[in-house]
Amino acid sequence: MASTEKITVYNVADLRATTDDALLNYLTSLGLIQSHTLLDTRLALGFSAFLLSAACFAWDYKLGFEATKQYTLVAVILYTLLNGALTYWIMFVEKGTIYVGKTKDGKTSLRVASDSKKPRSKGEAPVYKLTITVEDVKTKKTEKIDIERKFSEWFDASGRFVAAPFQTVLAQGVPLVGKLDPKRAVAAAPATGGQGLTKEQVAATPGYTQEILDAIASGLGENSSSAATGSSANQSGGKKRRT
Amino acid sequence: MLSGLANPRQAAVQLMNFGLILSTAFMMWKGLSVITDSPSPIVVVLSGSMEPAFQRGDLLFLWNRNVVAETSVGEVVVYNVKGKDIPIVHRIVRKFGKGPEAKLLTKGDNNVSDDTELYASGQDYLVRKDIIGSVFAYIPFVGYVTILLSEHPWLKTVMLGLMGLVVVLQRE
Repeated sequence: MASTEKITVYNVADLRATTDDALLNYLTSLGLIQSHTLLDTRLALGFSAFLLSAACFAWDYKLGFEATKQYTLVAVILYTLLNGALTYWIMFVEKGTIYVGKTKDGKTSLRVASDSKKPRSKGEAPVYKLTITVEDVKTKKTEKIDIERKFSEWFDASGRFVAAPFQTVLAQGVPLVGKLDPKRAVAAAPATGGQGLTKEQVAATPGYTQEILDAIASGLGENSSSAATGSSANQSGGKKRRT
Repeated sequence: MLSGLANPRQAAVQLMNFGLILSTAFMMWKGLSVITDSPSPIVVVLSGSMEPAFQRGDLLFLWNRNVVAETSVGEVVVYNVKGKDIPIVHRIVRKFGKGPEAKLLTKGDNNVSDDTELYASGQDYLVRKDIIGSVFAYIPFVGYVTILLSEHPWLKTVMLGLMGLVVVLQRE
């Protein structure tokens, strides 16, 4: 389950992008159907602006500036409007939304917006902020859930993403997800104290394979002195990965 | 890094971002063109014929509308010789007549003679239509990049390639 791709732990944009991707994969794997309307509108606006400028380039190149001045003026104004609309769309309508979807039966819809924050104090991990809006399609009642967790809860020190703790955060934070993924909903909650995952905590949790434990152990390095329920193979695996 | 491209929509968004950078730059140039009414509102001085006022590599800003007064003697103007693509930056030294059909004679400050030899064969004077703008502001030396790019065209491809690479690798 641990991804083999490593990313720079100091690049907050990368952390967030990887986490966003994982969230999308997770929600899709649970059977939620994603709606692409938001992204499609953005693409439509952007591409039509681009096509307009391509057309302007074409007539200016072929017929020269003087002959096409009026058309170019119209094109510039239209382009400014389209670009303005695109910016407005991204800033005020999308507002950081990374997922819009609904359950298979169409009864509940879900909207997830993500953001990242610099660490509260120096030396701490940056924070991943999720704003989830769950709406009952029939009654139109909405429920807003805010989740703020440190990236270190699902990234080990070397930059590998570990899916299980992240999925647990979601399953336990959002009742809808918990319903669709009962396995994660009952797994021990990850530490919110700020130290990230401790080896004992992780090893004692059901549902973790040896692979995950190895990945986390390699990130914890120094703390692997006390023997957890894992075998010694765990420790040697950790040392191997550190070199 | 390439995981972002697994999803075709994400790839489309990346492509769109890159395309929008190019098209916004182009439209800003065209917008400036339309406002100043000049096909080339920003030019780079290519020769030393206007020294000491302008040096090679200076960036000149042009205005091509006669809102307040007609183009007159003493103004530094940019014109293209009929049939040639190279803009020439010289000063108007003589004007005969009034209005759009007035005959204009130009000369580089640093040149010994006027531009009569530069004009197309059979043409002795310029008219207002030949001029693509008068200089109203300039930034020294900044335009030298353009001279480098035009004298070494492979630099353009390198620059565009770098830009594209940066946008694809960064996910905003």
